[in-house]
Amino acid sequence: MPRYESDVCIIGGGITAAMLALKLSELRPELSITVVEAGKRLFDTENRMAYRQRTIDYAENAWPGDFIEDQAAQGVISRTMAVGGSALHWGGTCNRFSEEDLRLKSMFGLYTDWPLAWTELEKFYCEAERRLGVSGEPSPFAEDRRSEPYPMAAMAMTHNLIELKKWADQSGIPFQTTPQAKNTEPYDGRAKCIRCNTCSICPTGARYSPDYTFRRLLQRKNFALHDQTLVRKLVLDNAKSTVAAAEAVSYQKPDDPVEYRAPVFVLASGYCWSPHLLLLSRSSRFPNGLANTSGLVGRYMCGHAFQSAMIEIDARIYPGMNEQHGLISRQFFRVTDREHFVRHDLRVWESASGHEPRLRGADGRILLGDSLLADWRQRAQRGTARVRGYYDVHPDRDSSLTLDASIKNRFGDPLPKIEHRLDAATQARRDATREHFQQLFQKLAQAGNGKVLNTGAGNYLDHPAGGCRMGADPASSVCDSFGQTHDHENLFVAGSPTLPNAGCTNGTLTFVALTLRSAERVAARFPKG
Amino acid sequence: MAIRRRTVVSWAAYLAGALRLSGVRAWAQTANFPADRQDTLHALAAVVLPAELGAAGIDQTTEAFARWVRGYRAGAEMDHGYGMTRIRSKGASPAPNYQRHLEALHEALLSGDADSRRQAVTAALEQAKITDLPRTPDGRHVAADLMAFYFRSSDGNDLCYRAAIGRDLCRGLDGSEQAPAPLKGRA
Repeated sequence: MPRYESDVCIIGGGITAAMLALKLSELRPELSITVVEAGKRLFDTENRMAYRQRTIDYAENAWPGDFIEDQAAQGVISRTMAVGGSALHWGGTCNRFSEEDLRLKSMFGLYTDWPLAWTELEKFYCEAERRLGVSGEPSPFAEDRRSEPYPMAAMAMTHNLIELKKWADQSGIPFQTTPQAKNTEPYDGRAKCIRCNTCSICPTGARYSPDYTFRRLLQRKNFALHDQTLVRKLVLDNAKSTVAAAEAVSYQKPDDPVEYRAPVFVLASGYCWSPHLLLLSRSSRFPNGLANTSGLVGRYMCGHAFQSAMIEIDARIYPGMNEQHGLISRQFFRVTDREHFVRHDLRVWESASGHEPRLRGADGRILLGDSLLADWRQRAQRGTARVRGYYDVHPDRDSSLTLDASIKNRFGDPLPKIEHRLDAATQARRDATREHFQQLFQKLAQAGNGKVLNTGAGNYLDHPAGGCRMGADPASSVCDSFGQTHDHENLFVAGSPTLPNAGCTNGTLTFVALTLRSAERVAARFPKG
Repeated sequence: MAIRRRTVVSWAAYLAGALRLSGVRAWAQTANFPADRQDTLHALAAVVLPAELGAAGIDQTTEAFARWVRGYRAGAEMDHGYGMTRIRSKGASPAPNYQRHLEALHEALLSGDADSRRQAVTAALEQAKITDLPRTPDGRHVAADLMAFYFRSSDGNDLCYRAAIGRDLCRGLDGSEQAPAPLKGRA
């Protein structure tokens, strides 16, 4: 059986693993690091323009081969399993959480607090923004004060966004452009954005993608990346509670198991596969899985809910100028009325919704050629704003990831099943939250002689996290604020699984900030010199 | 029992042969599209594409559509989505269906006046129960798919707004704060 030894073994190959490995390699260049990832490495940057074109022309997958057919989970938000993870095709949005997210209990008497000070997290937000290359502008709210400026100037607003901001500002709600991990100048060896309008497959590298970090790491002699290798179980040292090895299997040689040994293991497999591996690693000594004395591995699975609207406005919008770049208001991150808790972000993008070409006119008759074009032009006189709010919801303990014995992968391992459940306080707020958004959408519409075309509510929780939540008390959490598990001193969990709650805006920057902080604790475990 | 097994085997062999044959035929129809129905396809384009494109523009779009069909890859992976994930792959080539549709429209499109050609296309779309333009051509009817190919394209978007938006191009950031320039040659 092949056995690989390193100082740090990182399980999972997404953005968390990339950032952790990069920082560790800088803090302690002498450490050997191995990253083990189930998916493939998709490093053929030379083909990305062609993949992009096939996606536009044929709706083909822009990242061919980025999944494993039988490694699926019920309730998972993305099937992507490849070196780079979901951040291969993320939109690059880099919003910060706010202090309220970390202080729900002490500020509002809700859910729980994080065992982490906001000022501490804020330092690592700055570092995350530097490493990812975030372009942005400061928030107008004092509560969002930054200790460092953004590393790059904000992306210029397109004509469309200028028009949308004029409209949205009339509502009295302050908006700014959304910070993004996209280069507005050449940055960190990657090109400036050339506005391809397909950020999910950025053909130039202007939008940060972890594969760039991995390729850089591979130039180091003591860094190894083992892709197409699935870790199936963590094994403890005899009579000790430290992790001794990770048992894995290569998809290319499935009959020849692989073993990884290291003094430190870091689970960086995201909110789904990290708790899944801990649960799979059960043994006679730990019948409920590793790191699970609290019984909370795979519990408090979280995310944020969302409400959206399409609003027709009096503005000349040219759909397609830069659909990925939008506006955000952080006004509703704060709660002024504690009796009516609704926290959310508020986002605006250009859209063609309601103004797309159609085959049948209002009377149902088929339109061809000139008549279709005339109908389209007539309806396209006004613009459309796509508006969405991610709102803060809190998980119940039974918001869970469990092993589903009825569905197994080719190796016989039960696969995960995620079922989100919201706590009683969140459920009690449901109607008031919906009403709040309906009023807000109407207020925005009225500000610009607009009309709400339609509204909708998400039927899943976006930017999911949790499953190994952090806390100071081992009885009510899986790990501490550095991701170090309470039960196994050499086992860390990094990034999204450690979040107790998922805030009310995109989570990636927070996952990265927490990971960079974890890296310092991991590095500190190795004596210098 | 032996007879039944033989029957099953012979049916399986027949089915496999038929599938192979239809597969080869579909491949050939895709690779050669529109084969001997080039005139019919161009006549259809003149009905379903806007006259504003001009004769040359209609011809160019028609050729681009034919290239699109020839470049179709049945079974190619599709995006597996976000939020509602599903592994999907592209369906069979639409070329065999298109050839049938063109065959059916051939006579009406190459004879008669403009009104009768429009009526023939409209009737074909009604008969095929097409309710809207597909997001991307899906093979249900060549007329709807040719319209979707153009009207949902970056060029179609530009024509609607009479502006050089270039939705699917990589255009750079400079100047994007301005409204897109008017389309050349079109007021």
